[in-house]
Amino acid sequence: MGIFGSFDISASGLHVQRKRMDVISSNLANMETTRTERGVPYRRKMIVLGAEPAEDFDSLFNLRLEEAKIDEVVEDQSPFMQVHDPGHPDADAEGSVLKPNVDLVVEMTNLLTARRVFEANVTAMKTTRQMVLKALEIGR
Amino acid sequence: MTDKFSFHHVWGGLEQALGISQQRHALITGNISHLETPRYKPKDIDFQGALKQAMDKSPRVSMAQTDPGHLGMAPDGMKGVDVTEEEGEWNGFNWVNIDKEMTRLVENDLLFRTASEILIRKIGLLKEIIREGGR
Repeated sequence: MGIFGSFDISASGLHVQRKRMDVISSNLANMETTRTERGVPYRRKMIVLGAEPAEDFDSLFNLRLEEAKIDEVVEDQSPFMQVHDPGHPDADAEGSVLKPNVDLVVEMTNLLTARRVFEANVTAMKTTRQMVLKALEIGR
Repeated sequence: MTDKFSFHHVWGGLEQALGISQQRHALITGNISHLETPRYKPKDIDFQGALKQAMDKSPRVSMAQTDPGHLGMAPDGMKGVDVTEEEGEWNGFNWVNIDKEMTRLVENDLLFRTASEILIRKIGLLKEIIREGGR
């Protein structure tokens, strides 16, 4: 792994967290969506993360450095929320409406985590950069 | 060993490195400015490959050598560096990935700084030789 290997790994972290934010935004925007193309309420989406070996990792020391990547985007299969709202156009005979299984608290927590992890990756990158710059000063 | 590590060869190599790095910087900043351009494919230069290519090229006009120990010319200026258009991940709009571009920007910045630092030290060495040699 060259000196820039850690940059690529940090970049993969940034990318993944950015995608995660996309999914969280989608969940938040559709918190009240009762009609999707499939005719059912919106289902909460989740990102499943995987790791792939960094492109040129050094097998010599058995360093298994891995870049983050998105494995797949799945739907949360937990039941929809049932709200009593007889005036709603999508209410059934008993007046209850199925609302998306998006939990605001969960989404906000994920949002916070995504932001912090993103910041951590930026910090890691900054540090790597400063280390290389410092190395340039050796022997001056 | 004499040719590969000779003063002019290293000097020329550093010059090439700075040049390629500069070109690469222009491409990367270009990519970033095209962040919102539909169907835009980011461009880049393979730094190592381009540098190797530039340094392997023999000088077009060669200097007469009456002795094999004479130094040749510095490698030719950089011409026709291969610019590649790459398709990374389609984000639904174009192929630009801001995190990737920023990473490349930092990488390239460090490469440029490294090359210029070596050049500065080399010049310092020359100065030292001139100063001390005249004593």
